[in-house]
Amino acid sequence: MAMAHRVVARSKASTHRHAAVAKSCVVRPKGTGVTTRPARGLDFACRATVAGGEVKWVGNRRKLDLNRKYYPKKEDVDTQKKVWYIVDAEGKTLGRLATMVSMYLRGKHLPTFSPSMDTGGYVVVINADKVAVSGKKETDKMYYYHRVHRPGTMKTETLSELRQRVPERIVERAVKGMLPKGRLGNTLFTHLKVYAGPEHPHEAQKPVDITSLIDKKPKEADLAAVRAAVGLE
Amino acid sequence: MKKQKILQLAKGFRGRAKNCFRIAINRVEKALQYQYRDRKVKKREARKLWIQQINAATRQHGIIYSQFMHTLAKDNIKLDRKTLSDLAINEPHSFKALVDRVKFMRGNGID
Repeated sequence: MAMAHRVVARSKASTHRHAAVAKSCVVRPKGTGVTTRPARGLDFACRATVAGGEVKWVGNRRKLDLNRKYYPKKEDVDTQKKVWYIVDAEGKTLGRLATMVSMYLRGKHLPTFSPSMDTGGYVVVINADKVAVSGKKETDKMYYYHRVHRPGTMKTETLSELRQRVPERIVERAVKGMLPKGRLGNTLFTHLKVYAGPEHPHEAQKPVDITSLIDKKPKEADLAAVRAAVGLE
Repeated sequence: MKKQKILQLAKGFRGRAKNCFRIAINRVEKALQYQYRDRKVKKREARKLWIQQINAATRQHGIIYSQFMHTLAKDNIKLDRKTLSDLAINEPHSFKALVDRVKFMRGNGID
Protein backbone atom coordinates (compact mmCIF):
# COMPACT_ATOMS: atom_id res chain seq x y z
CA MET A 1 0.00 0.00 0.00
CA ALA A 2 1.50 3.32 -1.07
CA MET A 3 1.52 5.90 1.67
CA ALA A 4 0.64 9.39 0.42
CA HIS A 5 2.30 11.16 3.30
CA ARG A 6 5.18 9.17 4.64
CA VAL A 7 6.84 10.35 7.80
CA VAL A 8 9.65 7.90 8.28
CA ALA A 9 11.23 8.22 11.66
CA ARG A 10 13.38 5.24 12.42
CA SER A 11 15.51 7.00 14.98
CA LYS A 12 15.26 10.05 17.18
CA ALA A 13 18.04 11.83 15.34
CA SER A 14 16.76 11.88 11.78
CA THR A 15 13.46 13.25 10.54
CA HIS A 16 12.83 13.03 6.83
CA ARG A 17 10.23 15.65 5.95
CA HIS A 18 8.09 15.32 2.88
CA ALA A 19 7.55 18.59 1.00
CA ALA A 20 3.82 18.12 1.27
CA VAL A 21 3.99 18.63 5.00
CA ALA A 22 6.18 21.69 4.66
CA LYS A 23 3.17 23.97 4.80
CA SER A 24 2.45 23.52 8.46
CA CYS A 25 -0.59 24.80 10.24
CA VAL A 26 -1.66 25.17 13.82
CA VAL A 27 -4.93 23.93 15.29
CA ARG A 28 -7.09 27.02 15.67
CA PRO A 29 -10.72 27.57 16.67
CA LYS A 30 -13.34 28.31 14.09
CA GLY A 31 -13.40 31.88 12.88
CA THR A 32 -9.68 32.29 12.58
CA GLY A 33 -9.47 29.54 10.02
CA VAL A 34 -6.38 27.44 9.74
CA THR A 35 -3.26 29.52 10.15
CA THR A 36 -0.70 28.68 7.52
CA ARG A 37 2.79 29.86 8.19
CA PRO A 38 6.25 28.79 7.15
CA ALA A 39 6.93 25.37 8.52
CA ARG A 40 8.79 25.64 11.74
CA GLY A 41 10.34 22.39 10.79
CA LEU A 42 12.15 24.05 7.89
CA ASP A 43 13.98 26.35 10.25
CA PHE A 44 16.64 23.71 10.26
CA ALA A 45 18.37 22.08 7.37
CA CYS A 46 17.04 18.71 6.36
CA ARG A 47 16.80 16.49 3.36
CA ALA A 48 13.32 16.66 1.91
CA THR A 49 11.51 15.62 -1.22
CA VAL A 50 10.69 18.78 -3.13
CA ALA A 51 8.21 19.21 -5.94
CA GLY A 52 9.66 17.37 -8.88
CA GLY A 53 10.54 14.35 -6.82
CA GLU A 54 14.20 15.02 -6.16
CA VAL A 55 15.58 14.80 -2.66
CA LYS A 56 17.72 17.74 -1.64
CA TRP A 57 18.77 19.80 1.34
CA VAL A 58 16.36 22.59 2.20
CA GLY A 59 16.01 25.07 5.02
CA ASN A 60 18.41 27.14 7.04
CA ARG A 61 21.38 25.48 8.63
CA ARG A 62 20.30 26.68 12.05
CA LYS A 63 20.08 24.73 15.26
CA LEU A 64 16.80 22.94 15.57
CA ASP A 65 15.08 24.03 18.74
CA LEU A 66 12.58 21.43 19.75
CA ASN A 67 12.81 22.42 23.37
CA ARG A 68 10.23 25.15 23.05
CA LYS A 69 7.12 23.53 24.43
CA TYR A 70 3.87 24.84 23.07
CA TYR A 71 2.02 27.27 25.31
CA PRO A 72 -1.41 28.47 24.22
CA LYS A 73 -1.36 31.71 22.27
CA LYS A 74 -3.85 34.52 22.53
CA GLU A 75 -5.93 33.06 19.70
CA ASP A 76 -6.34 29.80 21.59
CA VAL A 77 -7.98 31.45 24.58
CA ASP A 78 -9.74 34.31 22.80
CA THR A 79 -13.38 34.23 23.87
CA GLN A 80 -14.49 35.66 20.54
CA LYS A 81 -12.95 32.74 18.70
CA LYS A 82 -14.17 29.93 20.93
CA VAL A 83 -16.13 27.15 19.29
CA TRP A 84 -19.71 26.64 20.44
CA TYR A 85 -21.09 23.14 20.85
CA ILE A 86 -24.64 21.97 21.50
CA VAL A 87 -25.88 18.81 23.18
CA ASP A 88 -29.44 17.53 23.31
CA ALA A 89 -29.84 15.98 26.75
CA GLU A 90 -33.17 14.29 26.09
CA GLY A 91 -32.95 10.69 27.19
CA LYS A 92 -29.19 10.81 27.71
CA THR A 93 -27.59 9.40 30.83
CA LEU A 94 -26.65 12.23 33.16
CA GLY A 95 -23.08 11.28 34.03
CA ARG A 96 -22.07 10.23 30.55
CA LEU A 97 -23.38 13.49 29.16
CA ALA A 98 -21.60 15.51 31.83
CA THR A 99 -18.28 13.78 31.16
CA MET A 100 -18.29 14.78 27.54
CA VAL A 101 -19.52 18.30 28.23
CA SER A 102 -16.79 18.93 30.78
CA MET A 103 -14.18 17.63 28.33
CA TYR A 104 -15.24 20.10 25.65
CA LEU A 105 -15.52 22.94 28.17
CA ARG A 106 -12.00 22.32 29.38
CA GLY A 107 -10.49 21.91 25.94
CA LYS A 108 -9.23 18.39 26.51
CA HIS A 109 -10.39 17.42 23.03
CA LEU A 110 -7.72 19.68 21.53
CA PRO A 111 -3.98 19.01 21.25
CA THR A 112 -3.37 22.62 22.33
CA PHE A 113 -4.77 21.76 25.76
CA SER A 114 -3.07 23.37 28.73
CA PRO A 115 -4.33 22.97 32.30
CA SER A 116 -3.53 26.57 33.17
CA MET A 117 -5.37 28.19 30.26
CA ASP A 118 -8.94 28.15 29.02
CA THR A 119 -8.62 26.61 25.57
CA GLY A 120 -12.06 25.01 25.63
CA GLY A 121 -15.31 26.01 24.01
CA TYR A 122 -18.81 26.93 25.01
CA VAL A 123 -21.36 24.15 25.45
CA VAL A 124 -25.11 24.62 25.20
CA VAL A 125 -27.26 21.88 26.71
CA ILE A 126 -30.91 21.77 25.70
CA ASN A 127 -33.78 19.63 26.98
CA ALA A 128 -31.97 19.39 30.29
CA ASP A 129 -35.22 18.61 32.08
CA LYS A 130 -35.43 15.34 30.14
CA VAL A 131 -32.01 14.03 31.08
CA ALA A 132 -32.18 10.41 32.23
CA VAL A 133 -30.67 8.48 35.10
CA SER A 134 -30.46 4.74 35.53
CA GLY A 135 -31.53 2.57 38.40
CA LYS A 136 -33.49 4.14 41.23
CA LYS A 137 -31.63 7.45 41.09
CA GLU A 138 -34.76 9.29 39.98
CA THR A 139 -36.25 8.84 43.43
CA ASP A 140 -33.18 8.04 45.49
CA LYS A 141 -30.44 10.46 44.37
CA MET A 142 -30.29 13.21 46.96
CA TYR A 143 -29.16 16.78 46.49
CA TYR A 144 -28.08 18.62 49.61
CA TYR A 145 -27.83 22.33 50.08
CA HIS A 146 -27.70 25.03 52.72
CA ARG A 147 -29.56 28.31 52.66
CA VAL A 148 -28.18 29.14 56.11
CA HIS A 149 -24.82 27.63 56.93
CA ARG A 150 -25.71 26.44 60.44
CA PRO A 151 -25.78 22.91 61.84
CA GLY A 152 -29.12 21.28 61.32
CA THR A 153 -30.30 23.58 58.53
CA MET A 154 -29.24 21.39 55.64
CA LYS A 155 -32.02 20.83 53.13
CA THR A 156 -32.35 17.73 51.04
CA GLU A 157 -34.32 16.92 47.94
CA THR A 158 -34.45 14.05 45.52
CA LEU A 159 -33.59 14.26 41.86
CA SER A 160 -37.24 14.18 40.87
CA GLU A 161 -38.03 17.04 43.23
CA LEU A 162 -35.15 19.09 41.86
CA ARG A 163 -36.38 18.33 38.36
CA GLN A 164 -39.70 19.93 39.31
CA ARG A 165 -38.04 22.93 40.91
CA VAL A 166 -34.94 23.86 38.86
CA PRO A 167 -34.29 21.21 36.20
CA GLU A 168 -31.20 22.95 34.79
CA ARG A 169 -29.42 22.49 38.08
CA ILE A 170 -29.19 18.72 37.63
CA VAL A 171 -26.95 18.99 34.58
CA GLU A 172 -25.14 22.00 36.00
CA ARG A 173 -24.32 20.18 39.23
CA ALA A 174 -23.11 17.13 37.34
CA VAL A 175 -20.81 19.10 35.05
CA LYS A 176 -19.52 21.37 37.79
CA GLY A 177 -18.38 18.34 39.75
CA MET A 178 -16.32 17.23 36.75
CA LEU A 179 -14.63 20.54 36.12
CA PRO A 180 -11.50 21.57 38.01
CA LYS A 181 -12.16 23.44 41.23
CA GLY A 182 -10.74 26.91 41.44
CA ARG A 183 -10.74 30.17 39.58
CA LEU A 184 -10.24 28.59 36.17
CA GLY A 185 -12.90 25.97 36.89
CA ASN A 186 -15.37 28.69 37.81
CA THR A 187 -14.67 30.48 34.55
CA LEU A 188 -15.13 27.25 32.61
CA PHE A 189 -18.45 26.70 34.34
CA THR A 190 -19.70 30.05 33.09
CA HIS A 191 -19.17 28.76 29.56
CA LEU A 192 -21.82 26.11 30.15
CA LYS A 193 -25.32 27.17 29.11
CA VAL A 194 -28.09 24.83 30.20
CA TYR A 195 -31.70 25.18 29.10
CA ALA A 196 -34.70 23.12 30.22
CA GLY A 197 -36.55 23.08 26.92
CA PRO A 198 -35.51 22.75 23.29
CA GLU A 199 -35.15 26.50 22.80
CA HIS A 200 -31.89 28.35 23.30
CA PRO A 201 -30.77 31.90 22.43
CA HIS A 202 -27.45 30.93 20.86
CA GLU A 203 -28.42 30.27 17.24
CA ALA A 204 -26.15 33.09 16.12
CA GLN A 205 -23.11 31.21 17.38
CA LYS A 206 -23.97 28.24 15.14
CA PRO A 207 -23.11 25.61 17.71
CA VAL A 208 -21.72 22.30 16.52
CA ASP A 209 -23.89 19.33 17.45
CA ILE A 210 -21.95 16.82 19.53
CA THR A 211 -24.89 14.87 20.91
CA SER A 212 -23.99 11.81 18.89
CA LEU A 213 -20.55 11.68 20.47
CA ILE A 214 -21.75 10.87 23.99
CA ASP A 215 -20.32 7.58 25.15
CA LYS A 216 -18.90 6.81 21.73
CA LYS A 217 -15.49 5.27 21.27
CA PRO A 218 -13.22 7.43 19.08
CA LYS A 219 -13.17 4.67 16.45
CA GLU A 220 -16.93 4.83 16.02
CA ALA A 221 -17.45 8.55 16.61
CA ASP A 222 -18.08 10.82 13.65
CA LEU A 223 -15.76 13.69 14.44
CA ALA A 224 -15.77 15.40 11.07
CA ALA A 225 -17.91 18.29 12.26
CA VAL A 226 -15.75 18.88 15.32
CA ARG A 227 -12.54 18.64 13.31
CA ALA A 228 -13.89 21.20 10.84
CA ALA A 229 -14.92 23.51 13.68
CA VAL A 230 -11.55 23.51 15.38
CA GLY A 231 -9.62 23.92 12.16
CA LEU A 232 -8.14 20.44 11.82
CA GLU A 233 -8.97 20.37 8.09
CA MET B 1 25.78 40.25 53.23
CA LYS B 2 23.81 37.12 53.82
CA LYS B 3 20.69 39.10 54.75
CA GLN B 4 20.76 41.00 51.52
CA LYS B 5 21.11 37.79 49.56
CA ILE B 6 18.08 36.29 51.26
CA LEU B 7 15.94 39.39 50.80
CA GLN B 8 16.94 39.45 47.16
CA LEU B 9 15.57 35.90 46.82
CA ALA B 10 12.39 36.95 48.63
CA LYS B 11 11.29 39.43 45.99
CA GLY B 12 7.63 39.04 45.11
CA PHE B 13 6.67 37.26 48.32
CA ARG B 14 3.55 38.15 50.19
CA GLY B 15 3.46 40.56 53.11
CA ARG B 16 6.36 40.85 55.51
CA ALA B 17 8.11 37.89 53.96
CA LYS B 18 9.54 40.11 51.27
CA ASN B 19 10.81 42.83 53.63
CA CYS B 20 11.65 41.39 57.02
CA PHE B 21 14.61 39.04 57.19
CA ARG B 22 13.39 36.85 60.03
CA ILE B 23 10.18 36.02 58.16
CA ALA B 24 11.78 36.00 54.75
CA ILE B 25 14.42 33.43 55.67
CA ASN B 26 11.71 30.84 56.42
CA ARG B 27 9.86 31.42 53.20
CA VAL B 28 13.05 31.53 51.16
CA GLU B 29 14.22 28.22 52.60
CA LYS B 30 10.85 26.71 51.66
CA ALA B 31 11.04 28.25 48.22
CA LEU B 32 14.45 26.74 47.61
CA GLN B 33 13.18 23.34 48.74
CA TYR B 34 10.24 23.64 46.36
CA GLN B 35 12.60 24.65 43.55
CA TYR B 36 14.74 21.56 44.18
CA ARG B 37 11.71 19.28 44.24
CA ASP B 38 10.02 20.92 41.29
CA ARG B 39 13.03 20.72 38.98
CA LYS B 40 12.37 16.98 39.08
CA VAL B 41 8.57 17.36 39.06
CA LYS B 42 8.72 19.65 36.02
CA LYS B 43 9.91 16.75 33.90
CA ARG B 44 7.02 14.59 35.10
CA GLU B 45 4.45 17.33 34.52
CA ALA B 46 5.76 18.00 31.04
CA ARG B 47 5.43 14.35 30.06
CA LYS B 48 1.94 14.23 31.55
CA LEU B 49 0.90 17.18 29.43
CA TRP B 50 2.41 15.70 26.28
CA ILE B 51 0.47 12.51 26.80
CA GLN B 52 -2.79 14.43 27.28
CA GLN B 53 -2.14 16.42 24.13
CA ILE B 54 -1.25 13.35 22.06
CA ASN B 55 -4.36 11.59 23.40
CA ALA B 56 -6.56 14.50 22.34
CA ALA B 57 -4.98 14.62 18.89
CA THR B 58 -5.24 10.89 18.23
CA ARG B 59 -8.84 10.81 19.44
CA GLN B 60 -9.66 13.50 16.89
CA HIS B 61 -8.52 11.03 14.28
CA GLY B 62 -10.31 8.05 15.75
CA ILE B 63 -7.67 6.18 17.69
CA ILE B 64 -6.74 6.26 21.35
CA TYR B 65 -3.40 7.05 22.92
CA SER B 66 -2.60 3.60 24.25
CA GLN B 67 -3.20 1.86 20.93
CA PHE B 68 -1.31 4.59 19.09
CA MET B 69 1.81 4.39 21.26
CA HIS B 70 1.80 0.62 21.32
CA THR B 71 1.64 0.39 17.55
CA LEU B 72 4.36 3.02 17.17
CA ALA B 73 6.61 1.01 19.42
CA LYS B 74 5.88 -2.20 17.58
CA ASP B 75 6.60 -0.44 14.30
CA ASN B 76 9.93 0.76 15.70
CA ILE B 77 9.05 4.44 15.27
CA LYS B 78 11.07 6.00 18.04
CA LEU B 79 9.44 9.43 18.19
CA ASP B 80 9.18 10.52 21.79
CA ARG B 81 6.15 12.07 23.40
CA LYS B 82 7.64 15.55 23.27
CA THR B 83 8.05 15.37 19.51
CA LEU B 84 4.69 13.73 19.02
CA SER B 85 2.81 16.43 20.91
CA ASP B 86 4.81 19.07 19.06
CA LEU B 87 3.80 17.50 15.75
CA ALA B 88 0.19 17.23 16.85
CA ILE B 89 0.04 20.95 17.59
CA ASN B 90 2.30 22.51 14.99
CA GLU B 91 2.27 19.99 12.16
CA PRO B 92 -1.18 18.38 12.15
CA HIS B 93 -0.75 17.00 8.65
CA SER B 94 2.39 15.16 9.69
CA PHE B 95 0.64 13.87 12.75
CA LYS B 96 -2.25 12.63 10.65
CA ALA B 97 0.27 10.80 8.51
CA LEU B 98 1.51 9.05 11.65
CA VAL B 99 -2.02 8.17 12.68
CA ASP B 100 -2.73 6.81 9.20
CA ARG B 101 0.43 4.72 9.41
CA VAL B 102 -0.68 3.36 12.78
CA LYS B 103 -4.14 2.54 11.47
CA PHE B 104 -2.56 0.79 8.50
CA MET B 105 -0.33 -1.33 10.74
CA ARG B 106 -3.22 -2.14 13.06
CA GLY B 107 -5.41 -3.03 10.07
CA ASN B 108 -2.77 -5.53 8.98
CA GLY B 109 -2.74 -7.14 12.40
CA ILE B 110 0.63 -5.86 13.57
CA ASP B 111 0.11 -7.38 16.97
